[in-house]
Amino acid sequence: MKLKNLQWSTILLPIILVFPGLLVLTGGYAQWVTGYLYLFIIQGYVAWLLFYKAGQSFYGYSATMALGAYTCVVLQRFFNISPILQILIGALLSSLLAMIFYLSISRSRGFYAGMASFLLAILMPKLIEALYPITGGRSGVQINSLNVSMGSANYFLVVVLITAIIVLFVSWLTRTRVGKIWTLISENEDLAESIGLNTFYYKLVAYAVAGLISGLGGALYVHYTNSISSVDINVFTSVSIFFIPLLGSKRSMYGPVIGALFIVLFPELFSSIERYIEILYGLAYILVMIFLPNGLIDDLGRLLKKIYFQVFLRKKLENN
Amino acid sequence: MILQGIVTGIIIGGVLSLPVMGVALIYGVTGILNYSIATIGTFGVFVTWMLWSSVGIIPAILAGLLTSFVLGFGIQEFLLNPLIKRKGNDLTLFFIITFGIATVVSGLTKIIFPRPTISIELPKIGTLFIANVAVDISKVIAIGIALAVLLLMRILEMATKTGKSWVATSQNLKMSKLVGINVEFVFSLVSGIGYALGFIGALFWGVLYNLTVITGWDLCFLGYIIAVVGGIGNVLGGVISALIMGIVISFAGYWLGGMWQSVVLYVILLAILIITPKGILRSERSV
Repeated sequence: MKLKNLQWSTILLPIILVFPGLLVLTGGYAQWVTGYLYLFIIQGYVAWLLFYKAGQSFYGYSATMALGAYTCVVLQRFFNISPILQILIGALLSSLLAMIFYLSISRSRGFYAGMASFLLAILMPKLIEALYPITGGRSGVQINSLNVSMGSANYFLVVVLITAIIVLFVSWLTRTRVGKIWTLISENEDLAESIGLNTFYYKLVAYAVAGLISGLGGALYVHYTNSISSVDINVFTSVSIFFIPLLGSKRSMYGPVIGALFIVLFPELFSSIERYIEILYGLAYILVMIFLPNGLIDDLGRLLKKIYFQVFLRKKLENN
Repeated sequence: MILQGIVTGIIIGGVLSLPVMGVALIYGVTGILNYSIATIGTFGVFVTWMLWSSVGIIPAILAGLLTSFVLGFGIQEFLLNPLIKRKGNDLTLFFIITFGIATVVSGLTKIIFPRPTISIELPKIGTLFIANVAVDISKVIAIGIALAVLLLMRILEMATKTGKSWVATSQNLKMSKLVGINVEFVFSLVSGIGYALGFIGALFWGVLYNLTVITGWDLCFLGYIIAVVGGIGNVLGGVISALIMGIVISFAGYWLGGMWQSVVLYVILLAILIITPKGILRSERSV
């Protein structure tokens, strides 16, 4: 039964991902926002893979993303390397950063490791501001992006396709032996060690893959927006990326899509009351954590059922 | 020169140690690593600043203190206590929830108080000479308060029933419930005190630097992370690491300038966390 579900999702997922992208291929606002959505879906899958699949509490997504993006900036400004190479080097460097980070914190477990990665997320924007002659700091830096040179429609299609490929890759990876070992590690690390698995190695692989995808996403991001500043990759970005799989789902592969939809569309929908957006975001964090601990997909049905029973059935019983 | 750097560092460290103590105290008793302490402290300081000109300094500060205490008490009583009952001490859960609380409060601060930047000027009491370095007494008060609170807490823990009930709750929750300690009230009370400490920290942060919502967030990060680095829940460890970080901030600011100051600070914090994975002193709860 479970296997059947997985296969269905593997076939359906790319269709679900690519099809809406083709619908908005008219240029203008809808396409612009949808592009953002795809870029955040990539980051959402990274967070889902690392937090729910491999069980690592990592909050440094904005740091790995920033490294991918700023590698592109530096390589273009000072070495004038072709964009495809920029993106590849950005992804590799970001993977390296994630691996070095894991190697240095591998002695600590659980929450302390999470806090070290949170420090990384705080450190990155400060470092970029301090290096402002190279990175442009808080006011940002422009690059000759693929979005301009390829045309926005073509580049948008590239982003959509890469997102679909990444999602397919992640869904394939979770079904391989490595993916299953990750699940074991996230559920019971001691058990994994006791049956002779080298958990250190598997966790290193998890960080390497996550860093690679996150850096790739960051590089695609900077080529999509044409510019980047330290404000774009601050701690709030990191926490919202961490929030994507939490909001989406603990188990389902579709979770990050739902979470990214929320993170990207929420500010767009409420742009008329922008003053209150921060409060609404905070309330969303609190309410989701309290009422949807396993994510929207897993818990919404149960929650609605509960409300239905509480409100309607109780009335009926009272009437009877 | 070096002496002046150290004195400035201890002043900054004293200010930092207040929110750190708030975080550590709340964690030690309730088991929640609360992220929102300094943002609510900042909210309290904005209240103080608004009332300052109309009611005078002491009532304004008391009003801010009370605001932070009541907010902290309320948040713990009505939001976090029921959650602890239902879900236990899940650190990730409470990290996101208290981050959400901090976001809500900083959003409220921006809306309620129209002026984005405030700076607090305490009345000049006099100048103190520490080894030929002139220091404003009003700036030294922060470290004095920090040490006084540290001492007071030890005395409370040793001598009074309330203090003993904190210790009991942090050591054995179920047993404390069994002997009839109102655990939830203790949690809320300690939380309110923690937030009040956050308020004092933010107030003196406003004396040293300008206070805005954004620097309030900086204080929040620092308070939280330094408490983790000191060994979560260990108040003394938190104070020690706050003083070290104050000295780091002072010297990095002098030698490297404002931009690199925070980079060096966070790199050193990261390095400490890498070298001593469980914090400088032992955590008073097992994580």
